[in-house]
Order: sequence, then structure tokens, then C-alpha cells
Amino acid sequence: MAMLSDGFDAIVIGAGHNGMALAAYLAKSGLSVAVLERRTEEGGGLCTEEVTEPNFLHNLHSNYHSLVGICPVYDDLALHDNGVEYVHPAVQMGSIFSDGSALTIHTDMEKTAASFARFSRKDADTWLRLFAEVSGYLDLMVRTLMYAPPITLRDITRALASWGVEDKSEFLTARLRSMSVADFLDRHFENDRIKAMLAFHAAICAYQPHVPGLAVTYPVLLGKITNWQLCKGGSHRLAHALMRVIVKAGGRVFPQVPVEKIVVEGGRAVGVMTPDGFVRARRLVASSLDVNQTFQSLLEPGAVPARTLEEVAGVQYQDASLFNVHLAMNGLPRYRAAAFDPDIDRAWILNLGFESLADFEDEFASVRAGRLPAVPRLNAAVNSLYDPTDAPPGMATGLLRVFAPFALADGGAEAWSREARAYGERAVERWLGAMVDGGAGLVRRWITETPLEISQKMINYRYGDWMVGRIHPKSLLENRPTQELAQYRTPIPGLYLCGASQHPHGYITFAPGYNALTVIAEDLGLEKWWAQV
Amino acid sequence: MSRTEFDVIVVGGGHHGLTTAAYLARAGLEVCVLEGRHEWGGALYTAEVTAPGFCHNIHANFMEFLHVMPSFTDFDLPSLGARTIYPEVQAGMPFRDGRPPVLLFRNDMIEETAKNFAVYSKHDAEVWRDLKTKANLFEPMLMAGLYTPPEKWKPGDTLPNPMLAFQTACTMFGLDEELAFKSVKDCVDEMFESDEIRALLYRVAIEFAAPSLEWPGCGYFFLFACVLMPGCWRMMVGGTHRLNGAMVTACIREGVTMREASRVRRILLEGHRAVGVELVDGTRLHAKRSVVSAISLKDTFLDLVGEDHLSDYTRRRVKNYKDGPDQVLGSVAMALHEPPHYKSARWDPRVDQAWYQVVGYDCAKDVLDYCRAGHCDRIPELPAAGIWINSIWDKTQAPSGKHNLTGWYFFPKASALTEAQWEEVRQTYNARFLALAGEFAPNMTRENVIADYLHTPLDQERGMRMREGDFGHGAMSLDQLIGLRPFAGASHHSVEIEGLYLAGSCMHPGGGVTAACGYNCVKVMCEDLGLPAVWQSSGRFY
Repeated sequence: MAMLSDGFDAIVIGAGHNGMALAAYLAKSGLSVAVLERRTEEGGGLCTEEVTEPNFLHNLHSNYHSLVGICPVYDDLALHDNGVEYVHPAVQMGSIFSDGSALTIHTDMEKTAASFARFSRKDADTWLRLFAEVSGYLDLMVRTLMYAPPITLRDITRALASWGVEDKSEFLTARLRSMSVADFLDRHFENDRIKAMLAFHAAICAYQPHVPGLAVTYPVLLGKITNWQLCKGGSHRLAHALMRVIVKAGGRVFPQVPVEKIVVEGGRAVGVMTPDGFVRARRLVASSLDVNQTFQSLLEPGAVPARTLEEVAGVQYQDASLFNVHLAMNGLPRYRAAAFDPDIDRAWILNLGFESLADFEDEFASVRAGRLPAVPRLNAAVNSLYDPTDAPPGMATGLLRVFAPFALADGGAEAWSREARAYGERAVERWLGAMVDGGAGLVRRWITETPLEISQKMINYRYGDWMVGRIHPKSLLENRPTQELAQYRTPIPGLYLCGASQHPHGYITFAPGYNALTVIAEDLGLEKWWAQV
Repeated sequence: MSRTEFDVIVVGGGHHGLTTAAYLARAGLEVCVLEGRHEWGGALYTAEVTAPGFCHNIHANFMEFLHVMPSFTDFDLPSLGARTIYPEVQAGMPFRDGRPPVLLFRNDMIEETAKNFAVYSKHDAEVWRDLKTKANLFEPMLMAGLYTPPEKWKPGDTLPNPMLAFQTACTMFGLDEELAFKSVKDCVDEMFESDEIRALLYRVAIEFAAPSLEWPGCGYFFLFACVLMPGCWRMMVGGTHRLNGAMVTACIREGVTMREASRVRRILLEGHRAVGVELVDGTRLHAKRSVVSAISLKDTFLDLVGEDHLSDYTRRRVKNYKDGPDQVLGSVAMALHEPPHYKSARWDPRVDQAWYQVVGYDCAKDVLDYCRAGHCDRIPELPAAGIWINSIWDKTQAPSGKHNLTGWYFFPKASALTEAQWEEVRQTYNARFLALAGEFAPNMTRENVIADYLHTPLDQERGMRMREGDFGHGAMSLDQLIGLRPFAGASHHSVEIEGLYLAGSCMHPGGGVTAACGYNCVKVMCEDLGLPAVWQSSGRFY
């Protein structure tokens, strides 16, 4: 049995889903592999804990998985056979508006269109055309944009031009590269609430609606609007499945073995230092951590070119984190807006507070100024609607999320400990206010999770940034995290990057790990047994 | 889930279930283990319940059987991540007035304990030296008893008598045989004269598997919990959940199919034979050879099998099986800036480095009153606790420079209080403990506490499905031990339902991280099913 001190062919730093997926592929390719994890549990953002009461399963970070069935990793690693089960909620999302009306997005697009039509017939038709068009090239877009090392924006534009997309497509144009999501929505839709619903979808994927240039990838995002899936029994189950694949293939996962240094000899990464001593990596070290940790904390300054260090120091993180409230409840919520649209009671993810594109502008302006909006705008998810096993029989688990600054204008990040309870109360009140009878007797207990706590628990999420790097044209594609580091290789031979700092970004995409694999397989001459995207 | 047929289905992925699954897979069977929770390991549970990065073992903490546990070596668990630390000062009791502390050292440091005891009583030091020397000598024999299944019994046979083994143990230690019939308190009082030493031994006894201090017939527990076990306690690096991680890895490597978040609704029977299970989502899994239940006795028979399928005898014995009151715990967790620094440390600074710190009692009677409260369905007036701060030895269990205090209160059964009353306890009791602890260690102030958490017996019952919050899965009293555990007709790991085996802590030797209930079940199954004796190992006689 391999001990740490024996060394491995490959060492992966960090047991998030990207690192574990890479390790699984490498182990299945015949390499001896160890994943070293600082935390007590493997999984990174795949983190499910009973933080309110026993038997109430709360997904603290990753909750919606939108690439099931699209991402090649699920099949390559046979994750379903290894114990992952997904539920595909029929009512994916909804919005409740202040006048008691509601919108719902269904897996059945006709139903979505019917819901939209109550607000605008024209927008409903536009939506159907848009979704049909996007569905036509979604696979191609996802493959070229996500499951391959990044190409440049210029190449994307060129490709669109050479395919004659402008002539064939109503929605895809070269102009998207300078447009924001809000611009895109203003251009094609007329109803404020429909625009708000669609912008909400972007915002919770960290695509802030008013950032210029993000419209380029918005069609891909829209194409997945019906594919939000719920990992049954908690997101952490996906981590269990990954661990089983790794171990079956002869690899190992070591939680609570923090890497203190990446050891470089003769300019090459040859292993890592842990509290238990040196662990040799005979062929490669892959870091799934944020680049600040990798280059500033784990490598000796002398081992990294000055220019690389300088660029890493300039990597930008999102200016909006999340404030979470996790609730244990005596049952499922029933909304007053169900009188308008009964399906709203079955909506997995709910927008409560964004009613127009201007609301998003206001929201993110507040957040950037370090202020908390007096009335929190909520993103509410009740997983128990579709996975009743996440709570005791008849009861339910709830999650409220609010965009929030990492540092408060008054007192900085530390001030969260002072504000958390009161702001949590406001969030809970707002939610209950939308329910029949004010949700009387529904809530058993709730706890808050502040941006500061998020960053302390998952230190990868610097400044509470769960995307591990901002979603901005200057920090995406060939610029993520920096131009030099964007292709998963580093200036230090033998050291690769495979985490959410890399293209495409955070979220349960598996893409950074998968793309790092592609590069590593090339460098090492591994035979590609997995399906080629 | 793709596969639906296996040779054996194990219900329950606590350490006994995992142990059973790993051995049976090694014996060549196709094994599936099902866990109702989203996480494996049952009470091998480590969670950040206070603040990010603070790992608290709110169930099992003191790994006292690893050095004798067959599965630990058979599956090479240390190489799979189950690494241990063996703290020198195993237990310590500081005092409010700054009197010298009572300290109990590791098995290999008998003289240090004797020297410490001599501060209060030379006589007690002598007694300890004598008892502990014998305990070290007899340990393999006594431990072997844990890893041996009781004989098969059926109505009409002579009833097994646990007292015979206990009497023998007393004789081995050169004690009067009658001591076996005494209570733990009587034994401690007879052997030790110092009130301070008695206080520590009482407290150590109640939390380490000794039934109520004042129940007769428990002399053996004096030997076991006060003498044999203290000194054996090992800490799992990274938290006790790491032992689970190693066992899960072992199971995967042996080819066990593992399904978490898969709660079983019932055990499927054909006539009197168990043939599979049905999950709460309706999925049916078939077991060609056997179903093993490694969950609680009542859950197995009353919920999953159904009492209609039981003989009158089995139904009576299952329904009347006792949970609590002697091993019902509430867990306290605190994220600290610095560990307690006790007034008593001026006599011996090592009290600050005692792994198990008994805090809040001034005398032995305080401990007795504390236990009596729990037995009378009351929350103890004196908010004392037994605590540990693992981060003193293991830096991975807390953020840099910070500390993770975890500990146990001895509480009444879950059913003794209403949910609202438990909530009241949750809101108030930690603050009361902290105020009391501050009188023993002045740095234990509110400012030193970053965040705190209290896990009540009701939480233990709901979360871990330990009925009444009894961490032993059934009282460890004379009437529920060895051949009488859980009752005579089931003590050989099966009842009248063919193909159904029992491997949970309701079996001999009971609660605690022994892996013995699972191991013993494997021994019985290997014989019944004609499997190779994969549990055998050269040099091990049990």
C-alpha cells in the first residue's frame, strides 16, 4: 500500500471536483495519483452539512449542477454507476413580483412560453425562437468554449464569421463581444419582468447583467436554462462518487494533509511539502487552488519568474460574494403568487426582488459600495421539493442567497459578525412575506453564512468569490487567470493548474480539470481512452 | 443505481457495517453497503459545527481499541489515512481552588500516574501501580473477549451468565470475587481513599462505557473503564472521521459497492428468510446470501422487519431492550482563541496538556450528584463537562493558532425533555459551563470563545439514530451484556429469520469504536456460509 512518503507519479493539490476528476482520469490512465486536501472533507464546493439540525442536508456552496448530460466527465468516469443520482426539476426557476404575479421556467419550453405569454406574447415567441436556435448549436458551443483549452475572443469572432453565423442567426452576432447581458435582453425582449427573470439566471451564474462583453457567452448560458439539476442526497455525494472512482483506479485521496510548499528542483516541480514531510511527484504536480495560493504561498519567490508573480498579484476577484441563510423548515413554502401561477410553488429556484434590469444595476452598485440593500433581493432554493430525502419526512431544507459585499463599507469584512443575524432576519422576513399566511410556523431554525465565513471555510474562494476569479471579459478565456497561465501550464515545468482559477471558471463544470487533463495528456503522451469532445 | 443484486447487503455504514462489508468482500462475496445518511462512518463524525476550519468530534473521540482492533491491521488502515497521536497525559482533573491536579498517564507511564496520585495518597498510588501493571499484562486476554462472539443460545438452554466472566476477571486482578457484584462506585471507594482521585475515576468511568456508577453487578466495569481503558486512548489525526475515510477506502479497494443517502424502508422476507431490502424511494435490492443489519436493534426489527414477522420471544425482548440512561451525552463544541490554562497548573503544568480534561467538580460527590440528575430525567445543576482540545496536538483540526474544544455533558435521555426544553438547554447550558470553567481556568472567558455549539441527546437520536441519545446503542448493564446482548436469543448475531445477521453496537461488546460487533458477525457468517476465515491472522488468537 502506497504511503505518502513513497511518492506518486502525480500529486493533485486540492480535492475539489476539478482536482478529483483530473486525478481520476490520471489514475485510470495508469498513473499512481494522490490528491492532497487541506480540509476535513473532500469535495471543495461539493459540501453538504447538517448545519441547522440533524437530517437537514444543506448544500453550503454548490447547489445547482447545469452540465449533467453535457459534460463528458459524467460518462467517462461512470459517475452514475458510482452512486450519483440527479433529479431534474420540472419547474426549474421562477420569479415572484411585488404585484403578486409570477413567472416560471419549465423543462418543458412550451410551458415556459405560456408563462412568458401572460406578460408578453411577443417575448414568448422570441423566447421560443431563441431557445430553439441556441439548442441547435449548444453542443458545439459548449465543446469549443468549455471543454477545450481557451481560444481567443478574436478566434471566436472569426469562427462565427467563417460559419456565416450572422446570416443564419437571429441572435448570434459579432457585436455580442461588446454587449452586456442587459443590452442583449433590451435588444430582443420588451417586458421588464421577463428580462429580469432571464438576467437573474445570468446573475446567479455570476454573469453580472451590466458587464460589457459578457453577452458573448450568454447564449450558452441560456441554452442550459432547462438543465439545472439537483444532486440527490446532497452535492457532496458527487464527491463521494469521485473518490470511489479514484480509489478503484488505485489512486488515493488524503484529506487534512495541507500542502505547505510546492518543491522545485532544477527549475522543475518535483513534489510537495506537507506537515508529514516531503512527498515526491515523479511526473507532475497539478494545483487546483487559486493562483494566489499556488504562486504566492506555495512556491518560493525565487522559483517563479517576477513577471508571473506580478501578473498573479493583479488577478481580480468578483466584487460580489454571497450571503447565505440556511433554513430547517416544517414543510414546503406556499406562495400567495400561486393564485396567479400555481407552478410557482414547485419552482426549485426563486427570484424574489429583481423585477427589472435596473434592479440589478442598483443591486450591484450597492454591493460594490459595500452596502447591504435595506430589503434583500433573494435567490431562494428549496431542494426538498425535488429531493425529499434532504430533510426529515414532511419537512424541508431551504437556502436563501443574497448578493453581498465581502467587505462592508462600515467596518470591513470583520463587520459581518455584527450584521449577519439582523440581515438574515430581513432575508427570512422577506421570503416569508411572499408566502400564504406569512409562512406562519414554517421555519424551525436558520443559520447564516457570511462572505467572510465562505472565504474562511473555502480559502480558494478569495473574497468570498465562489467563481475563483471574476467573470469579466478581461478575466475569461485566454486571459484567465493571466495570459501566461491560461493554458493550464505554468512557467515551472511539471506544474499544472487545474482549478476554477482556469478557463472556463468556477461552478460544477469539471471543465478546468478536464482541460488540464487534455494538456497533461499531450505533455506526457498519455493514451486518450476517454471520449474525445 | 445500476446493480440490484448482491451476495450480501449490509444496512448501515457506521464502522461496524463497514468492517463487516470489507471482510465479507475479502472473503469473495459481492457486497453492497447502504447508508441512510449522506456521510459514512456513523459516530466517526467530525464536523465544523462552530466556525470554519474548527473540526469537532461531536460523537466518538477517544480511540481506545485501535491497538487491538483486527480490522485496523488487516486492512492496513494507517496507510489509508488513519494516523494516530498518543497523548502522554490521557486525563486530568483541575480544581477550582488551584489544588494539585489529578493526572492519569498512558499505559507505558504507570510511574508518572503513581507519582501524581501520591500527592493525594501514597496508598492510592500503590493501588494504581498494582492494578495498572496487571491490566497491561492481562490486556490481550481481556481484549480477546471483546473480539469473540458469544455462544449460540436457544430457549431451553442454560442462560448465559456474564457474571462468571466478570468474577474471573476480578480473580485475575487478585481482587475479591465479590467485587464483580458491586457497583463501580463501591469498587472505586473500596480501592482508592483520595476524594480527588475518586472524582476523576467516577467521571472517567461513566463516559467510558461504564453503566451507572451505583448499579450493582458492575465491578467488571471498574476494572475495564477505570483501570484498563484509560491509558489506551489514541487520537485520530484530522478527527475521528479520518478512521471512517480509511475504512471507506478499504471497502472500495475490496470491491464493496457503496451507496450513501440510501435509507432502507424494509427488509424483504420470503417466508422466514431475508432476501433483500427496499429503499425509501422504492428501489429493491436482492441479497442472494444474507442481509446484515448494522443499525440499532429496534430500527432493525420494529421498523425494517416488522414485529409481525417475529416470534413472541424475540418481539418481547426487542421491545423491552433498554436504551440509556447511563450513556446519554450532550456534546459541547467551542472555537477558542487559546486553550484553558488551569489554576492547578501551578502545581503541574501538564494538566493543561491533559487530553481529557474533567472540569467543574470540586469533589467526588459532585460527580455522583451529576450522574444522579441524568438518571432522574433532570439536567445537572452543576454544568460540568469532560472536554478535550485536540488542536493542542493536531494543528490540522483548527485554523492556525486557534483551538477546537469539544466535550461531553452527561444528560438525561432524549425523551426526558420536550423539544422546547432541549432548545432551552441548547441556548443556555454552554454559557453556564463557560462561567463555571472560568473559575477553574481564568482565561476561559467569553472573549476567548469565537463560537460555540451544543448537540443535545435529541440531536444524537435524530442525527445518528441513537435511540434516546444513547451512544452505546443500548444500556451496557448486566442484563444486556455478553451472552445477554442484545438478548440471549440474538447474541450469536442472528435470530429466527434465516439469512439475517446483526452487526451493530446492540451486539456484544456494545458501544464504542471497537469494530468488534462487525468483526464478530463476520466470524459467525464465515462459519455459517462456509466462507474462508478471512478474519484469521497469524499471531492473533482472536
